[in-house]
Amino acid sequence: MPRRKLPIENNIRELRFAADGMTQQALADAIGVTRQTVIAIEAGRYSPSLEVAFRIAAALDAPFDRVFRYLGAPA
Amino acid sequence: MNIAFEEKSVWVQFLALIFILGGYFLTAAQMVRAGVDHLAAYAPVFAVSVVMLVVVLIAGHIVAAATSRSEQRDERDKIIAWRAESLSSWVMGVGIIMAITAMVVGVSSVWVAHGLLLALLLSELGCLMLRIFFYRRGI
Repeated sequence: MPRRKLPIENNIRELRFAADGMTQQALADAIGVTRQTVIAIEAGRYSPSLEVAFRIAAALDAPFDRVFRYLGAPA
Repeated sequence: MNIAFEEKSVWVQFLALIFILGGYFLTAAQMVRAGVDHLAAYAPVFAVSVVMLVVVLIAGHIVAAATSRSEQRDERDKIIAWRAESLSSWVMGVGIIMAITAMVVGVSSVWVAHGLLLALLLSELGCLMLRIFFYRRGI
């Protein structure tokens, strides 16, 4: 099944490794979502709410714009 | 494949509805063909199907919970459910309009009741299929 890509990129995977190799489950527990949601966000298949996005940045101890990048609306 | 409890729950509901209510409709079709035209005659078969559905749903959810982490439904699960319900609800609407039209033109209550039931089943199956699609493809 073709997977839908969103116009928002993220560096969650890299930042997790930088944060002492934080697991997807540990991040999910820290921000209050399921591991499958973290997987979907990392893969660009789900755009989290603003609140969850800020929680991710806080859990990874990184500025918001290092975690997420907006690519612009598709032409 | 690692599947969360919510997605397992959707699969349990989908398969239970297909097999049990599908089985009911096959039985009902045979009864219609045999000339059973009293709606009350279908009630015991339907009651058995509903009991079976409840039992299978409970058993399926116990198995799904036992093989999943204890997790709350999160925002993604809720958005997927809302979007799927919103897209599939028109099926039920069309079914209700068709059932009202059938009643107005004097179609038998057996057909009207089963038409409504079929609309409910198709609407629910559509909703569950959309939820599986959104879980797999992304939203």
